Amino acid sequence: MSGSFKYGVSAYSYVEDFGSVMTLEDLFDHIADTGATGIEILGEAQIEGYPHPTPAWIDKWFRLLEKHRLEPTNMCSWVDMRLTVSHNLTVEEGAADLARDLHLAHRLGFKFLRPKFGVLSHDLIPDSNWEGYVERNLDLAHRYGIVICPEIHSPTPIRHPVVEGYVSFIERTGTKNFGLMIDSGIFQDRPLTHWGSHQVTEEMRNHMGFLNGIRVNPEHLLDVAKYVVFVQAKFHDIDEHLEDQNIPWRPVISALKRIGYSGYLSSEYEGLRSPWRSIDQVRRQHVLLRRLEREFDAQEMSHA
Amino acid sequence: MLEHQLIQSTGFRNVGPAGAREGFALRLRLPNYHGTRLSLFDGVDVTVDGEFFPREKNRFAIRDELYTLEQLRAQTNAWWGLFESGSVLVDKPGGLAPGVHKVEVIARIRYSYFPPDVHVFPTRAERYATIVMP
Repeated sequence: MSGSFKYGVSAYSYVEDFGSVMTLEDLFDHIADTGATGIEILGEAQIEGYPHPTPAWIDKWFRLLEKHRLEPTNMCSWVDMRLTVSHNLTVEEGAADLARDLHLAHRLGFKFLRPKFGVLSHDLIPDSNWEGYVERNLDLAHRYGIVICPEIHSPTPIRHPVVEGYVSFIERTGTKNFGLMIDSGIFQDRPLTHWGSHQVTEEMRNHMGFLNGIRVNPEHLLDVAKYVVFVQAKFHDIDEHLEDQNIPWRPVISALKRIGYSGYLSSEYEGLRSPWRSIDQVRRQHVLLRRLEREFDAQEMSHA
Repeated sequence: MLEHQLIQSTGFRNVGPAGAREGFALRLRLPNYHGTRLSLFDGVDVTVDGEFFPREKNRFAIRDELYTLEQLRAQTNAWWGLFESGSVLVDKPGGLAPGVHKVEVIARIRYSYFPPDVHVFPTRAERYATIVMP
């Protein structure tokens, strides 16, 4: 039998509520009450005063972690390639941005850092400078015990040059401080009605076909098993019968179990942004995912 | 805390000397899900009761600073945080009449991680909002 998943929640789930009808204290309360053990944040969103939070804010962060018995999991960051309308980041500037976020992630206790690189195409081929940004920071990441993990996100599937590029980087450098984050949105097999705060229109579907789902076969996880370090459990709508309307969780959970994944499933709700809807959606997802994991384990036991 | 909606109720008011108003201010929360370098924020088009005020002419106020669109585009070391409001300042001699107005905005963010041809992503919002004082 493979190991157990760890369950976490990304603060991204509550975006729009956060800062308007939800404080940082509320956020911790909602996450901890799901039974999660980990909290994921977006550096630029939850850290007040980013990139230079005050000592008082940092004290509050650690006080809340302790009170709610949560551990920091992943911090999301951005390398803003198109820095201005006329200047793209140089390798040195991009590496400095990544270092800035590694320092901050370490200071707050995170073990994963997801940088979002600038892209050049509709299938999200990253600007080739990404390799320079990361390579210059591998020693720092190693010193901090942080794994830098770009996300494989719709519309990029697993079998794709983007993933091949990341995998060959890992093979070439032999690093343990770079891996793949899988966003479960790549497995979406039915169309979205809401994409975060945006109601999906026909025009959006024409420009962004991925909103209808790119339907990656979960079995493709087996190709990249040893490189997967983190999973963002992206979802949009789970009904009162615990049916996810977009993501086929049963085969996804089965594949994750069979590759021996024992890291975090970090909930990332990205559906309709009406106030407070996200809170119960995340709770539903935790029931659904835990149930599917138990069912898989029970089936394994009965075959053993 | 901020109001949930993008266009805030409070902060919609006339600006300039009483009796000789120069325009109006419209308060927004950040049109993005994470704090944003000001150089990536690409201004706000405003329409009030059908009258269009383009982003190239509107100014933007955050904390104690006031920026034109060109100045915003050069601010690489200042951020608009999730807990902060910003105000669009629109020139309109005489200001707006007290009462309820239909307000529409298009706020643009430049996303480096969106494909090049769609990387300037517009967020639209509209609502009725109220000017209290002339």
